Amino acid sequence: MTRRLPPRKRFSRPAWAVSVGIGLAVIGFIAAAQWNSSLGRQEFVTSAQRVLVSEVQQLQRQQEQLRAEIADAEHRLAEFQEASEGSQTALARLNEQLAAARLAAGLTDVRGPGVVIEIADSLRPVPEGERPTDYIVLVDDLRDIMTALWASGAEAITIAGGSTDGVAANAERIVATTSIYGVGSSILVNTAFLSPPFRIEAIGPEGLHDRFLAHPSFLGRVAQRIEVFGLQFASEPRDELTLPAFVGTTQLRWGAPLADEPEASPEPDE
Amino acid sequence: MSRRVAQASLFVVALFIGALLVGQLRSQARPIELSSLSAQELSELIETLQAANVDLSDGAANLREEIRDYELADIQGQDAMTPAREALDRISAFSGLTGVRGQGIVMQLEGSFDPVAINDLVHELRNAGAEAISIDGIRIAAGSVAVLGNGVIEIDGRPLGRSVEILAIGSPRGLQAALERPGGYLAFLQQFIDARVTITTSQSIVVPATERVLTPTVARPVE
Repeated sequence: MTRRLPPRKRFSRPAWAVSVGIGLAVIGFIAAAQWNSSLGRQEFVTSAQRVLVSEVQQLQRQQEQLRAEIADAEHRLAEFQEASEGSQTALARLNEQLAAARLAAGLTDVRGPGVVIEIADSLRPVPEGERPTDYIVLVDDLRDIMTALWASGAEAITIAGGSTDGVAANAERIVATTSIYGVGSSILVNTAFLSPPFRIEAIGPEGLHDRFLAHPSFLGRVAQRIEVFGLQFASEPRDELTLPAFVGTTQLRWGAPLADEPEASPEPDE
Repeated sequence: MSRRVAQASLFVVALFIGALLVGQLRSQARPIELSSLSAQELSELIETLQAANVDLSDGAANLREEIRDYELADIQGQDAMTPAREALDRISAFSGLTGVRGQGIVMQLEGSFDPVAINDLVHELRNAGAEAISIDGIRIAAGSVAVLGNGVIEIDGRPLGRSVEILAIGSPRGLQAALERPGGYLAFLQQFIDARVTITTSQSIVVPATERVLTPTVARPVE
């Protein structure tokens, strides 16, 4: 007995060959677009820029090394201070004050409830005649978010860049000397060069998330940019966050701690 | 058999198209490479990084010295009071817990500025290397920000007037140059805000301690 195969209706050879052909045409189109866009960026880089880029990279490597050295030194100092605790009452009290000052200054890792915020460039294509910078996260957006968080009661804040996996590996702790600064469309936080998506974590009392979302510093500019230009934004409260300590210099070069003396008014230079 | 080949071919093609589309979308996002910056922006970045690295290098040297003090005290059988007190002074001055005296600039700002202009100024000064800042006698700690409250600008709950005095400790020339550079903060103020600014350098200014409570109530140290 012989079995006859059913007639092929859906996938006759010409039909799928056409589908594959169309698919390959699409691939060709996208590949060409991608090649062109990468060429455009490469052409933009002149030899002078390459030298400057190389110098920046060298300085960044140097900075990483120095920051690692400072983190190690701070760790060793904290060990000394803990080891000497209890040897004398006065010293023990001094070390308690020191621990409290380190906590207040942002030099200690901290843990507590808070909020996580992520903000990234818009995925919308930039319409002709509009400014591309409207569609990317700007330094003003991060400053406004920072302002709204502090004003809403945040006690500790970090900003990380380029992390999408929920691990803030390059998180920069915001301290008294932190500047959030824009160089072109790039953003420096504590002199670290961060790129989007930006992840902001803040520890603060209950209701921090709601107060932040309702704060005029958030609603005034950045919330409108999210709405109008489609900047990617997400935020949520968290029961427990751990924020790393600030790594950097705490030494004053141009000033000295004020001893207990009467305050003087400024003396302008002649 | 032929049907399976067709499905497999379509699957491979679809997968390839998907991968290319993802690549294309990513390439349309902001180019984050340094090569996307202009020569002028790179020069500015280099200047910032160089200044930061000098500060970091000094900071590392000071910390090494503190460690040596502790080690010396340990060897000589002395207590560690002196290095601990020095560390406390340094950290307290850095955070704003104590006042600071030093060189810097005095700014008088008068006009119709808003909280954003004040916060931007603080970031400009910090980026230019300001080590301690006060605005109308209010020490700017990490969380001290200008906000609009009850129709007036407030910092740490204290209102500012239409004319404010800003003190910043740091390199007097460096701070002044950073604010007065073309396209810098003063140029921005003159262009967009009706405000008058005067800057004078000073060899001795005093920035007070903060009145804000810096000890966190919710954030606890990680043991």
